[in-house]
Amino acid sequence: MDEVQLLHRFLMVGALLFSIGLVGFLSRRNMIVMFLAAEMMLQGISVSLVGWGRFHNDWGGQILVIFILAVAACEAGIALALVLMLFHQTGKLDVAVWQSIREANQPKFVDHQLPEETLPVEHWPTLPPAGVEPELPVEEMIHRSHV
Amino acid sequence: MVLVPALPLAAALIVGLLGFPLLKTRSHIPVIAAIGTSFVLSLFLLRGVLNDTPQEESGGAVGVEKLVRLWRWAGIEGAYSQGEGEQAVSRPFDIDITLRADPLTAVMLSMVTFISSLVAIYAVGYMHGDPGYPRFFAYVSLFVFSMTMLVSVSNFVLLYVFWEAVGLCSYLLIGFWYEKPEAAAAGKKAFLVNRIGDFGFALGLFLLWTTYGTLNFHDVGPDGALPTASAEAEGEASGGKIAVQGVLGQSRLQDPAHSYVGGGVGLAICLCLLAGACGKSAQFPLHVWLPDAMEGPTPVSALIHAATMVTAGVYMFIRCTPLLHASPTAQAIVASVGAFTALLAGLIALTQNDLKRVMAYSTISQLGYMFLGVGTGMLAGIGAGMFHLFTHAFFKALLFLGSGSVMHAMGGIVDMQRFSGLRKIMPWTHGTFLVGCLALCGVFPFAGYYSKDAILAAAHGRAMHDLVLLEGTRWEFSLYQTLYYSGVFTALLTGLYTFRAFFMTFYGETRVPPEAGHHAHESPPSMVGPLVILAVFAFGIGYIMSGSEASHDQPFGGFLHHTPSLAFSGLPAGPHDEASHAKVAALSSLFALSGIGLAAFLYLGERRQVERLSRLMKAVRLYQLSYGKFFFDQIYNGLIVAPLRLLASVCYWFDQKVIDGLVNLGGWLPQAFGAMLRPLQNGLLQFYALAMMLGLLVLIGALLMWPVS
Repeated sequence: MDEVQLLHRFLMVGALLFSIGLVGFLSRRNMIVMFLAAEMMLQGISVSLVGWGRFHNDWGGQILVIFILAVAACEAGIALALVLMLFHQTGKLDVAVWQSIREANQPKFVDHQLPEETLPVEHWPTLPPAGVEPELPVEEMIHRSHV
Repeated sequence: MVLVPALPLAAALIVGLLGFPLLKTRSHIPVIAAIGTSFVLSLFLLRGVLNDTPQEESGGAVGVEKLVRLWRWAGIEGAYSQGEGEQAVSRPFDIDITLRADPLTAVMLSMVTFISSLVAIYAVGYMHGDPGYPRFFAYVSLFVFSMTMLVSVSNFVLLYVFWEAVGLCSYLLIGFWYEKPEAAAAGKKAFLVNRIGDFGFALGLFLLWTTYGTLNFHDVGPDGALPTASAEAEGEASGGKIAVQGVLGQSRLQDPAHSYVGGGVGLAICLCLLAGACGKSAQFPLHVWLPDAMEGPTPVSALIHAATMVTAGVYMFIRCTPLLHASPTAQAIVASVGAFTALLAGLIALTQNDLKRVMAYSTISQLGYMFLGVGTGMLAGIGAGMFHLFTHAFFKALLFLGSGSVMHAMGGIVDMQRFSGLRKIMPWTHGTFLVGCLALCGVFPFAGYYSKDAILAAAHGRAMHDLVLLEGTRWEFSLYQTLYYSGVFTALLTGLYTFRAFFMTFYGETRVPPEAGHHAHESPPSMVGPLVILAVFAFGIGYIMSGSEASHDQPFGGFLHHTPSLAFSGLPAGPHDEASHAKVAALSSLFALSGIGLAAFLYLGERRQVERLSRLMKAVRLYQLSYGKFFFDQIYNGLIVAPLRLLASVCYWFDQKVIDGLVNLGGWLPQAFGAMLRPLQNGLLQFYALAMMLGLLVLIGALLMWPVS
């Protein structure tokens, strides 16, 4: 297998990874999945970098990829933290919830294909009480400030 | 001499700045003090000029003039150039703030300051309790400053500046009660009508500049120094040290026949100046503003619109006598305008019911007389015009202040049909008003007799002069003869309308309008005092002035004669024929007396004849013609105001629809473009990502199609 052919395969894999990531990024609305897709695009680029580095007999591409991996790890930490914060605010991972940067007076995008998600009333299993009921400090219960 | 205008200016500043916060009802004190001092100073000035008179005449100079140069206001080097090569003349355009004192100025100054101090005292009573009290006195003081400067500057541009300044003060004071729509409109009208005249005046100045190359009255030496008597004598000896000959300067006046341009240019200059004078002095085509100006407070009407400002036009013409002398046609036009205005205003005044308005038309009429006098182009006529100006200032101020006193008592009512028989309520006003009326009509010992008859005699003399010496054409003779007779007829009208107003106001059964309320009484002393003083002057001034100079045969002219503008050789002196003078005087007095008699016949007693007469006049439409002021307002409205309004509304429409439309289109286009693009910003993350992607694709595509070599 000569070098050119090898490069072609590298590049093809890289392009595939990038395309899959792109399609995923554009078509999915779950923030975590979008983040994964973005990572996939990044790895696609990294693969082609490695391929070119090898083709040119140059370690630069490999070194750059190592750096990219390190940076991507940090980035992943930050991104997941952000996603977590966003999730805490609305309880949703849907990215379409966050559209307040739109131009004033523009109508809000509402997805009519997906009906508004209603959480079913959930019944958690309860345990029957067991053992001796502890002595409650009555005074403290009455005078406790409502925190 | 500098102090004469400076004091009122200082008072105007003090009252204007401090009047409202500090002085309030004491605002009149600095003004009266300043104007009074100015009056005393100008009397000294008058005395000084009088004393100078005999000595100067021997010195070879023409007339008497004293110049004080304050500072140089503007100067442009080489602004005027004429000729080429050797004869090239290049002169600077200089405006020096130079004050001059000569008999004409001294007389005007004393008159102006005297009347204004009396009016200021009167206004203390009249304006009492007005919310704009300090403002009023500030304006009056400013006016006195402008007027004194107007008569004492020695440059046409400065004359124009202060000409405008008095116009401004007039506007401010007519519209003094600016809450009243009529007053505001009258102020605007006065200003705009004056503007038309001033436009002509400005054109006249331009013509003067191109013709004479300077706008100074006086000569200027080579280093810009003023000519003194000694320097002038040397200058003549050494062949002329004078760099720029003033328009009315000594050097030019030495040889009037050759230094003034006649013909078409001279006529054009005079006509342009006439336009300005017509505006300011309310002569025929532009007289419409003066009656409306009566909306202002009465002291203002007395001061500005009867005694002083409106005479500025006459003053200007007297000052420019040499220019006028160069163009006989212009003289004829000035005289005709004057006589026609006098007649017209007299006819209109016959039917007006507003006391102040009658007085306003009589002012216009008397100003017409003055123009007639000036237009005769003879020293006698010009002197008589100035004399009439002088006496008129006294008795017309008296009449206006008297009307103001009536108005004050009647609670602001001036309609003569609403009150009558006031002589018992207001004896002082009645007496002084009678003196004013007699003086206005020119009954024998009163002031008007001397001055008006002098004018008529001059007009008559001019006609005779032309006939006897065969200098003028047949046409000129008949013109002046006509003007003379119309002047005599106007004397009849004067008697009639003046005493009509007098009888309607002070005689008949006593009626007082309800608006007067309980204060239908004689006016306070500060108002009656000036009335009495003015009445004394109106009675005696004509006699005094003409008596002291009786030997000269031209009463007032004997003194005025020493004004440089009037003293040049070649100005015809006028008639010396005592007999014809007496004949003229007798004739005009007879006419005036018959006018008074007619008024007495019609308006004393039952007034049945008046009813019959006015019915007859109404039947032939003459009454409406006079009552409607010959419909000048309507004609001007139709001819000038309405088309202008139409033009203005067309322009407004064009501006609103087309110009603003274009501008708004300029604003609307980006808006529309933005509205088209706005849906792109929908806030969806993936949409932006897609757009980024597409943009990248386009870039890559472009790179592939046009590879970077």
